[in-house]
Amino acid sequence: MGKSTTKAGSRWRSVATSTLSRGPGRTHIGWLKELWARFLSNTQLGAEVGHFASKAIALPQLKRLSVGEIPWSPLRKPLSECTVVLVTTGGVHLRSDPPFKVNSDSSFRVIPNGAQAEDLAISHQAYDRTDALKDINLVFPIERLRELEAEHVIGRLAENHYGFGLMGSAKRLMPSIREVARRISESGVDLALLVPA
Amino acid sequence: MGVTTSALALVKEVALAAHAPRFVYLHWPFGHALGEPGNIAQQRTVLHDMLSMAASAPRPGLVVDLPYKWRREKYPSIIDWETPGDAFVSQLSLLSQEDHGEK
Repeated sequence: MGKSTTKAGSRWRSVATSTLSRGPGRTHIGWLKELWARFLSNTQLGAEVGHFASKAIALPQLKRLSVGEIPWSPLRKPLSECTVVLVTTGGVHLRSDPPFKVNSDSSFRVIPNGAQAEDLAISHQAYDRTDALKDINLVFPIERLRELEAEHVIGRLAENHYGFGLMGSAKRLMPSIREVARRISESGVDLALLVPA
Repeated sequence: MGVTTSALALVKEVALAAHAPRFVYLHWPFGHALGEPGNIAQQRTVLHDMLSMAASAPRPGLVVDLPYKWRREKYPSIIDWETPGDAFVSQLSLLSQEDHGEK
Protein backbone atom coordinates (compact mmCIF):
# COMPACT_ATOMS: atom_id res chain seq x y z
CA MET A 1 0.00 0.00 0.00
CA GLY A 2 1.46 3.31 -1.01
CA LYS A 3 -0.67 6.17 0.16
CA SER A 4 -3.52 5.79 2.51
CA THR A 5 -4.43 9.13 3.87
CA THR A 6 -8.19 8.86 3.73
CA LYS A 7 -10.27 7.75 6.69
CA ALA A 8 -10.85 4.37 5.07
CA GLY A 9 -7.20 4.19 4.11
CA SER A 10 -5.98 3.86 7.66
CA ARG A 11 -8.14 0.78 8.04
CA TRP A 12 -6.84 -0.77 4.86
CA ARG A 13 -3.20 -0.38 5.80
CA SER A 14 -3.47 -3.24 8.25
CA VAL A 15 -4.67 -5.62 5.55
CA ALA A 16 -1.68 -7.51 4.25
CA THR A 17 -2.64 -8.09 0.65
CA SER A 18 -1.83 -6.18 -2.46
CA THR A 19 -5.21 -6.55 -4.16
CA LEU A 20 -7.52 -4.74 -1.81
CA SER A 21 -11.18 -4.60 -2.48
CA ARG A 22 -13.92 -3.00 -0.45
CA GLY A 23 -16.49 -5.61 -1.32
CA PRO A 24 -16.84 -9.25 -0.36
CA GLY A 25 -14.48 -11.81 -1.90
CA ARG A 26 -15.25 -14.08 -4.82
CA THR A 27 -14.04 -17.62 -4.14
CA HIS A 28 -12.47 -19.18 -7.21
CA ILE A 29 -14.78 -21.81 -8.72
CA GLY A 30 -13.33 -22.20 -12.23
CA TRP A 31 -14.53 -20.69 -15.48
CA LEU A 32 -16.86 -23.51 -16.45
CA LYS A 33 -18.84 -23.31 -13.20
CA GLU A 34 -18.78 -19.51 -13.43
CA LEU A 35 -20.28 -19.74 -16.93
CA TRP A 36 -22.94 -22.15 -15.70
CA ALA A 37 -23.80 -19.87 -12.77
CA ARG A 38 -24.17 -16.94 -15.18
CA PHE A 39 -26.48 -18.99 -17.37
CA LEU A 40 -28.67 -19.85 -14.36
CA SER A 41 -28.90 -16.27 -13.09
CA ASN A 42 -28.92 -14.19 -16.23
CA THR A 43 -30.94 -15.95 -18.91
CA GLN A 44 -34.60 -16.91 -19.14
CA LEU A 45 -33.71 -20.46 -20.14
CA GLY A 46 -31.22 -20.67 -17.26
CA ALA A 47 -33.90 -19.55 -14.80
CA GLU A 48 -36.19 -22.29 -16.10
CA VAL A 49 -33.44 -24.89 -15.84
CA GLY A 50 -32.67 -23.70 -12.29
CA HIS A 51 -36.31 -23.85 -11.22
CA PHE A 52 -36.69 -27.28 -12.79
CA ALA A 53 -33.51 -28.58 -11.14
CA SER A 54 -34.38 -27.26 -7.69
CA LYS A 55 -37.84 -28.83 -7.91
CA ALA A 56 -36.42 -32.13 -9.17
CA ILE A 57 -33.85 -32.22 -6.37
CA ALA A 58 -35.85 -30.77 -3.49
CA LEU A 59 -39.45 -31.92 -3.91
CA PRO A 60 -39.00 -35.69 -3.41
CA GLN A 61 -36.80 -35.07 -0.35
CA LEU A 62 -39.15 -32.50 1.14
CA LYS A 63 -42.12 -34.83 0.69
CA ARG A 64 -40.28 -37.40 2.79
CA LEU A 65 -38.94 -34.99 5.41
CA SER A 66 -41.78 -32.48 5.82
CA VAL A 67 -44.28 -34.68 7.54
CA GLY A 68 -46.62 -33.74 10.35
CA GLU A 69 -47.81 -30.36 11.49
CA ILE A 70 -46.16 -27.19 10.28
CA PRO A 71 -44.42 -25.64 13.30
CA TRP A 72 -45.99 -22.42 14.54
CA SER A 73 -44.36 -19.95 16.92
CA PRO A 74 -46.10 -16.57 16.67
CA LEU A 75 -44.17 -13.43 17.58
CA ARG A 76 -44.57 -12.73 21.27
CA LYS A 77 -43.61 -9.08 21.23
CA PRO A 78 -43.64 -6.05 18.92
CA LEU A 79 -40.97 -6.04 16.18
CA SER A 80 -39.37 -3.03 17.81
CA GLU A 81 -38.50 -5.24 20.80
CA CYS A 82 -37.41 -8.32 18.85
CA THR A 83 -33.89 -9.72 18.56
CA VAL A 84 -33.43 -10.70 14.91
CA VAL A 85 -31.04 -13.26 13.40
CA LEU A 86 -30.24 -13.60 9.72
CA VAL A 87 -29.72 -17.00 8.09
CA THR A 88 -28.57 -17.12 4.47
CA THR A 89 -28.15 -20.07 2.13
CA GLY A 90 -26.27 -17.93 -0.39
CA GLY A 91 -22.81 -19.31 0.44
CA VAL A 92 -21.83 -16.25 2.51
CA HIS A 93 -19.05 -16.66 5.09
CA LEU A 94 -16.21 -14.75 6.69
CA ARG A 95 -13.27 -14.26 4.36
CA SER A 96 -11.06 -15.63 7.14
CA ASP A 97 -13.09 -18.88 7.39
CA PRO A 98 -12.65 -21.91 5.12
CA PRO A 99 -14.84 -21.49 2.03
CA PHE A 100 -17.79 -23.79 1.38
CA LYS A 101 -17.18 -26.61 -1.06
CA VAL A 102 -19.06 -25.06 -3.94
CA ASN A 103 -20.78 -28.15 -5.33
CA SER A 104 -21.99 -29.60 -2.03
CA ASP A 105 -21.36 -28.65 1.57
CA SER A 106 -23.44 -29.55 4.61
CA SER A 107 -21.55 -27.36 7.10
CA PHE A 108 -22.45 -23.87 8.25
CA ARG A 109 -20.47 -20.74 9.09
CA VAL A 110 -20.96 -18.21 11.88
CA ILE A 111 -21.04 -14.60 10.68
CA PRO A 112 -20.52 -12.21 13.62
CA ASN A 113 -22.91 -9.27 13.66
CA GLY A 114 -20.05 -6.80 13.40
CA ALA A 115 -18.76 -8.24 10.10
CA GLN A 116 -18.50 -5.67 7.30
CA ALA A 117 -19.04 -6.42 3.61
CA GLU A 118 -15.29 -6.50 2.98
CA ASP A 119 -14.87 -9.15 5.72
CA LEU A 120 -17.14 -11.54 3.81
CA ALA A 121 -16.79 -13.90 0.87
CA ILE A 122 -19.24 -15.92 -1.20
CA SER A 123 -18.62 -19.56 -2.15
CA HIS A 124 -21.46 -20.93 -4.28
CA GLN A 125 -21.74 -22.31 -7.80
CA ALA A 126 -25.46 -22.20 -8.50
CA TYR A 127 -25.90 -18.47 -9.05
CA ASP A 128 -23.98 -15.59 -10.59
CA ARG A 129 -22.31 -13.85 -7.65
CA THR A 130 -21.43 -10.68 -9.56
CA ASP A 131 -24.30 -8.56 -8.22
CA ALA A 132 -24.19 -9.99 -4.67
CA LEU A 133 -20.48 -9.19 -4.53
CA LYS A 134 -21.34 -5.58 -5.45
CA ASP A 135 -24.08 -5.50 -2.83
CA ILE A 136 -24.03 -8.25 -0.21
CA ASN A 137 -27.54 -7.27 0.89
CA LEU A 138 -28.98 -9.15 -2.10
CA VAL A 139 -28.29 -12.45 -0.34
CA PHE A 140 -27.41 -11.28 3.20
CA PRO A 141 -29.28 -8.03 3.99
CA ILE A 142 -27.21 -7.17 7.05
CA GLU A 143 -26.71 -3.49 6.20
CA ARG A 144 -30.43 -2.95 5.68
CA LEU A 145 -31.13 -4.66 9.02
CA ARG A 146 -28.56 -2.48 10.76
CA GLU A 147 -30.47 0.54 9.45
CA LEU A 148 -33.71 -0.93 10.77
CA GLU A 149 -32.05 -1.50 14.13
CA ALA A 150 -30.87 2.15 14.20
CA GLU A 151 -34.39 3.29 13.23
CA HIS A 152 -35.84 1.14 16.07
CA VAL A 153 -37.98 -0.81 13.62
CA ILE A 154 -36.47 -3.99 15.08
CA GLY A 155 -35.13 -4.28 18.62
CA ARG A 156 -31.61 -5.46 17.96
CA LEU A 157 -29.59 -7.81 15.81
CA ALA A 158 -28.31 -11.10 17.22
CA GLU A 159 -24.64 -11.44 18.10
CA ASN A 160 -24.13 -14.05 15.38
CA HIS A 161 -25.75 -14.79 12.04
CA TYR A 162 -25.42 -18.00 10.03
CA GLY A 163 -24.42 -18.93 6.50
CA PHE A 164 -25.03 -22.12 4.54
CA GLY A 165 -23.72 -23.11 1.11
CA LEU A 166 -25.09 -25.23 -1.69
CA MET A 167 -26.30 -28.65 -0.57
CA GLY A 168 -28.31 -31.17 -2.55
CA SER A 169 -29.10 -33.58 0.26
CA ALA A 170 -31.58 -32.29 2.82
CA LYS A 171 -30.95 -35.31 5.03
CA ARG A 172 -27.23 -34.66 5.25
CA LEU A 173 -27.97 -31.02 6.01
CA MET A 174 -30.15 -31.84 9.00
CA PRO A 175 -27.40 -32.03 11.69
CA SER A 176 -26.20 -28.52 10.76
CA ILE A 177 -29.76 -27.20 10.66
CA ARG A 178 -30.46 -28.64 14.12
CA GLU A 179 -27.24 -27.17 15.51
CA VAL A 180 -27.99 -23.70 14.11
CA ALA A 181 -31.58 -23.92 15.36
CA ARG A 182 -30.30 -24.89 18.81
CA ARG A 183 -27.83 -21.99 18.92
CA ILE A 184 -30.47 -19.53 17.74
CA SER A 185 -33.07 -20.62 20.25
CA GLU A 186 -30.56 -20.63 23.11
CA SER A 187 -29.33 -17.13 22.30
CA GLY A 188 -32.61 -15.39 23.05
CA VAL A 189 -33.51 -14.64 19.44
CA ASP A 190 -37.16 -13.82 18.74
CA LEU A 191 -37.22 -13.77 14.96
CA ALA A 192 -35.13 -15.53 12.30
CA LEU A 193 -35.14 -14.18 8.74
CA LEU A 194 -34.21 -16.83 6.17
CA VAL A 195 -32.76 -15.68 2.86
CA PRO A 196 -31.90 -17.95 -0.09
CA ALA A 197 -29.93 -17.24 -3.23
CA MET B 1 -40.74 -21.89 23.13
CA GLY B 2 -39.80 -21.74 19.48
CA VAL B 3 -38.34 -18.92 17.43
CA THR B 4 -40.54 -17.17 14.86
CA THR B 5 -39.26 -17.58 11.31
CA SER B 6 -39.99 -15.65 8.14
CA ALA B 7 -38.43 -16.87 4.90
CA LEU B 8 -37.94 -15.68 1.35
CA ALA B 9 -38.65 -18.17 -1.42
CA LEU B 10 -37.26 -18.30 -4.96
CA VAL B 11 -39.07 -21.44 -6.15
CA LYS B 12 -42.71 -21.49 -5.10
CA GLU B 13 -43.31 -25.24 -5.33
CA VAL B 14 -40.27 -25.90 -3.15
CA ALA B 15 -41.47 -23.36 -0.59
CA LEU B 16 -44.92 -25.00 -0.44
CA ALA B 17 -43.36 -28.45 -0.02
CA ALA B 18 -40.94 -27.25 2.67
CA HIS B 19 -43.82 -26.79 5.13
CA ALA B 20 -42.12 -23.80 6.72
CA PRO B 21 -44.44 -21.57 8.76
CA ARG B 22 -44.11 -18.32 6.75
CA PHE B 23 -42.82 -17.61 3.26
CA VAL B 24 -42.91 -14.64 0.93
CA TYR B 25 -42.19 -15.52 -2.68
CA LEU B 26 -40.46 -13.43 -5.34
CA HIS B 27 -40.00 -14.63 -8.88
CA TRP B 28 -36.61 -12.97 -9.34
CA PRO B 29 -33.32 -14.28 -10.78
CA PHE B 30 -31.15 -16.56 -8.66
CA GLY B 31 -28.66 -14.59 -6.59
CA HIS B 32 -31.03 -11.62 -6.28
CA ALA B 33 -33.25 -12.59 -3.36
CA LEU B 34 -33.68 -8.93 -2.34
CA GLY B 35 -33.50 -7.44 -5.83
CA GLU B 36 -31.07 -5.25 -7.71
CA PRO B 37 -27.70 -4.14 -6.33
CA GLY B 38 -27.93 -0.73 -4.67
CA ASN B 39 -31.73 -0.54 -4.81
CA ILE B 40 -32.25 0.24 -1.14
CA ALA B 41 -35.98 0.99 -1.47
CA GLN B 42 -36.50 -2.41 -3.07
CA GLN B 43 -34.51 -4.20 -0.36
CA ARG B 44 -36.38 -2.37 2.39
CA THR B 45 -39.71 -3.30 0.83
CA VAL B 46 -38.79 -6.99 0.79
CA LEU B 47 -37.70 -6.80 4.43
CA HIS B 48 -40.88 -4.91 5.34
CA ASP B 49 -42.96 -7.70 3.79
CA MET B 50 -40.89 -10.39 5.57
CA LEU B 51 -41.43 -8.57 8.89
CA SER B 52 -45.15 -8.14 8.13
CA MET B 53 -45.30 -11.87 7.44
CA ALA B 54 -43.64 -12.58 10.78
CA ALA B 55 -46.07 -10.32 12.63
CA SER B 56 -49.33 -10.97 10.82
CA ALA B 57 -49.50 -14.31 8.98
CA PRO B 58 -52.80 -15.81 10.14
CA ARG B 59 -51.86 -19.49 9.89
CA PRO B 60 -48.81 -21.71 9.21
CA GLY B 61 -47.80 -22.80 5.72
CA LEU B 62 -48.72 -19.68 3.74
CA VAL B 63 -46.56 -18.64 0.79
CA VAL B 64 -47.43 -15.04 -0.10
CA ASP B 65 -46.73 -14.29 -3.73
CA LEU B 66 -45.29 -10.76 -3.88
CA PRO B 67 -46.23 -8.96 -7.08
CA TYR B 68 -43.13 -6.78 -7.60
CA LYS B 69 -41.42 -6.74 -10.95
CA TRP B 70 -37.73 -7.52 -10.91
CA ARG B 71 -36.81 -4.17 -12.49
CA ARG B 72 -38.43 -0.77 -13.06
CA GLU B 73 -40.79 -1.04 -10.11
CA LYS B 74 -41.53 2.04 -8.00
CA TYR B 75 -41.14 1.38 -4.30
CA PRO B 76 -42.83 4.02 -2.13
CA SER B 77 -40.93 4.81 1.08
CA ILE B 78 -42.23 2.95 4.10
CA ILE B 79 -43.81 5.30 6.61
CA ASP B 80 -45.03 2.86 9.24
CA TRP B 81 -43.17 -0.45 9.57
CA GLU B 82 -45.83 -1.84 11.92
CA THR B 83 -48.43 -1.59 9.14
CA PRO B 84 -48.12 -4.12 6.30
CA GLY B 85 -47.75 -2.67 2.79
CA ASP B 86 -50.68 -2.56 0.34
CA ALA B 87 -49.23 -5.14 -2.08
CA PHE B 88 -48.54 -7.57 0.75
CA VAL B 89 -52.01 -7.09 2.25
CA SER B 90 -53.81 -7.70 -1.04
CA GLN B 91 -51.76 -10.84 -1.82
CA LEU B 92 -52.32 -12.18 1.69
CA SER B 93 -56.05 -11.55 1.42
CA LEU B 94 -56.14 -13.59 -1.82
CA LEU B 95 -54.84 -16.54 0.18
CA SER B 96 -57.42 -16.07 2.95
CA GLN B 97 -60.15 -15.97 0.30
CA GLU B 98 -58.88 -19.34 -0.97
CA ASP B 99 -59.02 -20.61 2.62
CA HIS B 100 -62.65 -19.61 2.92
CA GLY B 101 -63.45 -20.98 -0.53
CA GLU B 102 -62.23 -24.41 0.56
CA LYS B 103 -64.49 -24.52 3.61
